[in-house]
Amino acid sequence: MPTQDSSEDRIALLQGTLDLLILKILLLGPCHGQGVARSIQRQSEEVLFVDHGSLYLALQRLEDKNLIQAKWGLSENNRKARFYSITAKGRAELQDKTSQWKRLTRAMGLILEPQGEEG
Amino acid sequence: MFKRKRPAQDFADEIRSHLELEADELRDDGLSPDQATRLARVQFGSVSGANERFYLRGRIQILDSIVRDLRYALRSLAHSPAFALTAILTLALGIGANTAVFSVMNAVLLRSLPVADPTRLAYLRTSNVPNGTGTISSHETFSYPIYQTLRDQHSGFSDVIAYVPLSISKVAVRYGSQPEEAEGEMVSGTFFSGLGIKLPHGRGFTEQDEKDHAPVAVISYNYWTRRFARNPDVLGTTLYVNGIGVTIVGISAQGFEGLEAGGSTDFWIPLQNRPELNAYGNPVEEGKIYITNPTWWCLRLIGRLAPGVNKQQAAAALNPLFQRAAYIGLGSPAAGEKPPTLSLEEAKGFPGFSEEYGRPLRMLMAMVGFVLLIALTNVVMLLMARNTSRQREFSMRLALGAGRRDLLRQLLTESFLLVAAGGALAWAFAQMATRSLASWAQIESSLAPDRTVLAFALGILVVAALIFGLAPLRIALAAGPALSLKTSAPTSNTAAGKSRAARIMVALQMTLCVVLLVGAGLLIRTLRNLENTPLGLRVDGLVVFGVNPHVTSVPQGKAFYRDLIGKLRELPGVESVTVMAWRIGSWSSNNSGMTVDGRLPDVPNGSSRTVRSNVAGPGFFTTLGVPVLAGRDFADSDTETSPHVGIINEQFAKRFFANTNPIGHMIGTEFGQYQMTIIGVVKDHKYRSIDEEPIPMAWYEYAQIPIIGKMDVELRVHGDPLAILPSARKVVQQMDPNLPLIKPMTQRAQYDLTISSQTLFARLAGCFGLLAVVLVATGLYGTLAYRVSRRTAEIGVRMAMGAGRGQVVWMILRDSLVLTLIGVLAGIPLAFAIGRALSSSLYGVEPLDALTYAIAIAGVTLVAFVASAAPASRAASIDPLKALRTE
Repeated sequence: MPTQDSSEDRIALLQGTLDLLILKILLLGPCHGQGVARSIQRQSEEVLFVDHGSLYLALQRLEDKNLIQAKWGLSENNRKARFYSITAKGRAELQDKTSQWKRLTRAMGLILEPQGEEG
Repeated sequence: MFKRKRPAQDFADEIRSHLELEADELRDDGLSPDQATRLARVQFGSVSGANERFYLRGRIQILDSIVRDLRYALRSLAHSPAFALTAILTLALGIGANTAVFSVMNAVLLRSLPVADPTRLAYLRTSNVPNGTGTISSHETFSYPIYQTLRDQHSGFSDVIAYVPLSISKVAVRYGSQPEEAEGEMVSGTFFSGLGIKLPHGRGFTEQDEKDHAPVAVISYNYWTRRFARNPDVLGTTLYVNGIGVTIVGISAQGFEGLEAGGSTDFWIPLQNRPELNAYGNPVEEGKIYITNPTWWCLRLIGRLAPGVNKQQAAAALNPLFQRAAYIGLGSPAAGEKPPTLSLEEAKGFPGFSEEYGRPLRMLMAMVGFVLLIALTNVVMLLMARNTSRQREFSMRLALGAGRRDLLRQLLTESFLLVAAGGALAWAFAQMATRSLASWAQIESSLAPDRTVLAFALGILVVAALIFGLAPLRIALAAGPALSLKTSAPTSNTAAGKSRAARIMVALQMTLCVVLLVGAGLLIRTLRNLENTPLGLRVDGLVVFGVNPHVTSVPQGKAFYRDLIGKLRELPGVESVTVMAWRIGSWSSNNSGMTVDGRLPDVPNGSSRTVRSNVAGPGFFTTLGVPVLAGRDFADSDTETSPHVGIINEQFAKRFFANTNPIGHMIGTEFGQYQMTIIGVVKDHKYRSIDEEPIPMAWYEYAQIPIIGKMDVELRVHGDPLAILPSARKVVQQMDPNLPLIKPMTQRAQYDLTISSQTLFARLAGCFGLLAVVLVATGLYGTLAYRVSRRTAEIGVRMAMGAGRGQVVWMILRDSLVLTLIGVLAGIPLAFAIGRALSSSLYGVEPLDALTYAIAIAGVTLVAFVASAAPASRAASIDPLKALRTE
């Protein structure tokens, strides 16, 4: 039960970062909600914990903002699932937010590790 | 951009699919199907929670919270029903009274004529009239030749509209067989077209109608509704006006009730040239009616400005024409006589009405404004008191996480509820009050509240709602979340600032109350004075009605009245009967100069030569109960063939016969055509109205003068005067089935009409004074009672320390007396100002009447005592032990 043991080491997502992660995952190709959740957990090496209820609301929010679009389809194992894909507007948003995020983490890093490499 | 909204079911499906996919994968990881399904669910968390959040997403949060706030407000108001009821009733009275008075003011002063493009219309006015002319109003009426002259030019006006009533009051009409009375006017052919009044049924008048004096009529929408039940078949039928048949050709648009302010015209006919349809129902004078008599200025004129011409230009262009026409029939102006000048007045509202009702109505509006101010401060004080005691509630809510905005919304919702309930009640109250106000003021025009009134009432309500919502907010926020931790309510609430605001408001209310009481006192004393003014005649037992017989010759008319008097005398219960040309006590009079011994008398510089005259029948003064000081009354023996006789009053004798006995001297009309010998001098008495000063008067004998027309019959009867009317009506209709009794009423009622506006204003002012007293009393009581309950612990301590009950009572009383004193001191100068503004409406009482002030001050002091009594006694009955134990 790999997803359960390490719960103490997991970090709840910061507000607003979930949207960014979803867009990034969808950049790789259309995916359903469950797949997005798994991908986030796997790609973060099981550190990031996704509340599934929040995930679907976030997907809905992104869809409402036309950053992603959705349609029902069939999964690899023939289950009916709602597949999400990123829109052009979503790509632009992702680029924008990613650079913001990078600036933020760099700034945070500068403060938290003042001895770290500068320049 | 508009996407179809995603159904909640779709979202639920997606979640289900997620659970299945997750379970599949978990199974792949090696779990049993049961375990996999359970774990997938556990990992997901609350499925229904997610569904609910999806459902709430995008929902209008405000609506939800409004409903919640409303529920909460209702509950919290229901917890203190006494407070809610007092506040709502106070609001209803204050706002209702204001709306009612404003409705009347709106109808009388603000509403403009219901005509097309009223800004291009102007009333014609003249500075003065030439010597030797008779007028209805010396600045507002014009002769027929002037109308003709102005009508036939086209430089200043595109249309000139003339109108004149067929009678001072109502005119006899018949439709079918039943004689009745209605208000009718003769108008120019341009009346409907020039004013721009639509006729949804039938047609208006044309200039040809006027030229032909066509026997056609347009009836008003109101008359159509009232008399004909909106039957469209009325068009083409015949209405008999003073016995002359006219065909109804049109019905005017709803909302147009004529140009007489406060009145309601029933029908219009084109200007006529028949003696039966003379202007104002006047009898034909020397064979002349209004058209043929150039010296009788009786027409009111309105002009529609020609395109591109303004009022000044039009007046300048028309003045030379006007001044020439003014002397038609008079010759050239006398040396040094100032010729009349034409001016134009904006025709926005009704003429003459604002002068009569404007000032008193504005005063009333000020008074109800004060009442409203008292009512609003009252509710604010109540709210503040209530919310201060709710401070712990507020701070508890803040501590539990409510935002300041939530509190504000909550308070606004509560005040909105109060105001809405109060407003609904106020509207109902205003409807009633407006109706009774209108019937008191005898305003017949429609007073249905229009958009202006609605906006006015809504405006007050919105302001009230905001004040009520915001005033307590400071208190609520001042509480802060920490307060809920303190335990002692009484000590946590003694901040001086809040009680100072309440005290200022109480003092302000006292001030307004003094002003209202002084105003009401002055007006009520005025009414008392008017009611107790001796009329100079025995008015009780007199009944009066008008008749307007259809006669073709003067002898026939004389015979009619002689016959009528004879028949009425024989009715059981009738003591005496007489007739007169102008009904006494009806404001109307006939004024002119008179010759004395063949020439116009010399008068000292500045004093007037005007004599008021009337035409009277036999036994006139005996019937009225006016003492004859010298000589005799008119008698049956004074006839057409006997020597002409006249009677004068004391004033006449004093002014024109100083030091000589007037009996036997000759007096006559202004130009001396008619001469008569003075046979009697009577005591001065009230003639036109109750509040007039006597002026010289002379009476002609009706049987001797060369004209005859409508007359009023005066009966002195035993018992109830009105009981004679049915048999009198029978007598009249036996003589002519077409004749209605015109405005039958007791002579007392007729005189009372002349003070009806004073009566109305005094009564209303009294009501408002009373209302103010009640409101101030409840306000003061509420504040004091609240303060006492807040200070229970303090009073307990004082008493435990040895304060006597008397001292405690005095402590409370002193509080309210100090406030009263401040209020009175501030109120007296304000009352001075109000009294001075009222002075023109006062009769027999000075604006600085000491008694009125004393009563007002005593009244306010009494109110203060009464309102303080209960709280003071409650304070005195506090048991120190109990009070301290509650700490």
